[in-house]
Amino acid sequence: MAAERVLVPLSDTVTVRQTVGYAVRAALEDADAVEFHLVAALPYDVAVPEGRSLTEDAEQLLTRAENWVEEDVDDTDATVEIETAVVGTNEYLFGPRDFAEVFEAYATSHDIDRIVLDPEYQPGQTAQLIQPLEREFDALGLPYEEAPVDRPARHERLIGGGTERFDQLFATFWISYGFYLILGDPTYPFDLVTGAAVAGIVSISLAYVTFTFPLGRLRSPLRTVRFALYIPYLLYEIIKANLAISVVILRPSMPIEPVLTRVNARVRGGLPLLALANSITLTPGTLTVRADDQRLIVHTLIPGARDDLFDGALERAVRFVFHGRSGARIPTPRERDDTEIIGGDDV
Amino acid sequence: MIDQLQFWAVLLCLAFGLFFTFVSTVGVLRLPDVYSRAHTASQTDTLGAGLSLAAVALALGWESTTIYTVLLLFFVFLTNPTAAHAIARSAAESGITPLTAEDELESETPDDGASAPGDTAVNAGEEGGDHA
Repeated sequence: MAAERVLVPLSDTVTVRQTVGYAVRAALEDADAVEFHLVAALPYDVAVPEGRSLTEDAEQLLTRAENWVEEDVDDTDATVEIETAVVGTNEYLFGPRDFAEVFEAYATSHDIDRIVLDPEYQPGQTAQLIQPLEREFDALGLPYEEAPVDRPARHERLIGGGTERFDQLFATFWISYGFYLILGDPTYPFDLVTGAAVAGIVSISLAYVTFTFPLGRLRSPLRTVRFALYIPYLLYEIIKANLAISVVILRPSMPIEPVLTRVNARVRGGLPLLALANSITLTPGTLTVRADDQRLIVHTLIPGARDDLFDGALERAVRFVFHGRSGARIPTPRERDDTEIIGGDDV
Repeated sequence: MIDQLQFWAVLLCLAFGLFFTFVSTVGVLRLPDVYSRAHTASQTDTLGAGLSLAAVALALGWESTTIYTVLLLFFVFLTNPTAAHAIARSAAESGITPLTAEDELESETPDDGASAPGDTAVNAGEEGGDHA
């Protein structure tokens, strides 16, 4: 029989192993020469912060899946070829249609005969995609099948521990209730009642989307307090930088010295990095041009702003917000040699 | 007395807010390339809008609507760096090379060697080369 080409979209789920196993079994029943295409689709552009680590995760998953296929075909005498690919690295994939189109393009260019889907397929962080994705495949006329798998009951897996779920609901409820009452009137009973209803709906439907990380009962409120302390400091820095830039702009000779620099920031993860990059851009004189994990490419306009950036005051402040006072005691980027002046062509 | 104080505080905030907006406009007109203009454009949003909103809050006094102006400022502070970063990044992605201190020297040396301060080393080197 002719060779068959099977496409398996992969994401890191509880059932991904079983899906691969099923794809191998089903394909080997029909044909004795099979080409497996293991494909991971990235929802984000690789150039976003953390893009590099997301790509690495996807590549690790593909390597693992490759080993699984090899394991499963080991005791048969079929000829099997395995190809892996990460797709969607140069665009944002927003919805099921985007994913379906990416897979369709892959299927067409590689002459794919069938697609095996993981019933728990979840390429992004927020929601499962299987049903809308299947609808899009139907619309595009792509042949697919869903792998039959055993899986633990879904509610256990989605929510994690009971306390974790409660914390997320609790935090989302009070944040949205508070915001509602700020906009409304906290002394008016009608607003109190409707606010509670709205906050209830919001917290039930959106708590998992709002907090994709576990909350600490002590740590998270503490961070909020420290963030409140950070704001006046940021305002002070903004005013200082504004004055410095204004002086430079209004001087007739305009002594600017634009330089592109690279700073390796010692803050990790989405939110701290966002806070740092935003604060850097918010102070006139420094502008984040690119953020690639912890490597920030910053355009600086005047030497004073550059020195401030290399002294890392904002970085220490952000570390204080997220890691407390001991986290803020680190050498400046200049001292630990994490700064670099780069040419304009390296953007 | 309190009214007088409030009036002058509002006036002061508005004046400084306008001043920083003006400086920012001058900067956008004077600065050489898209990256350096993005720096000064953020001045309007931070201190320009910030002080004007502070003036609005002071003029309104202690009312529930005052909270809205504070919230407004908060959202401006979130969106301004996002927009500035988006402009800078799309400029970088469409291949616009930022003008850096060294490039500027090269373009300025032929017609006016003495204009930019702090660049004497490279200037001298280039001029020396020309004379030789």
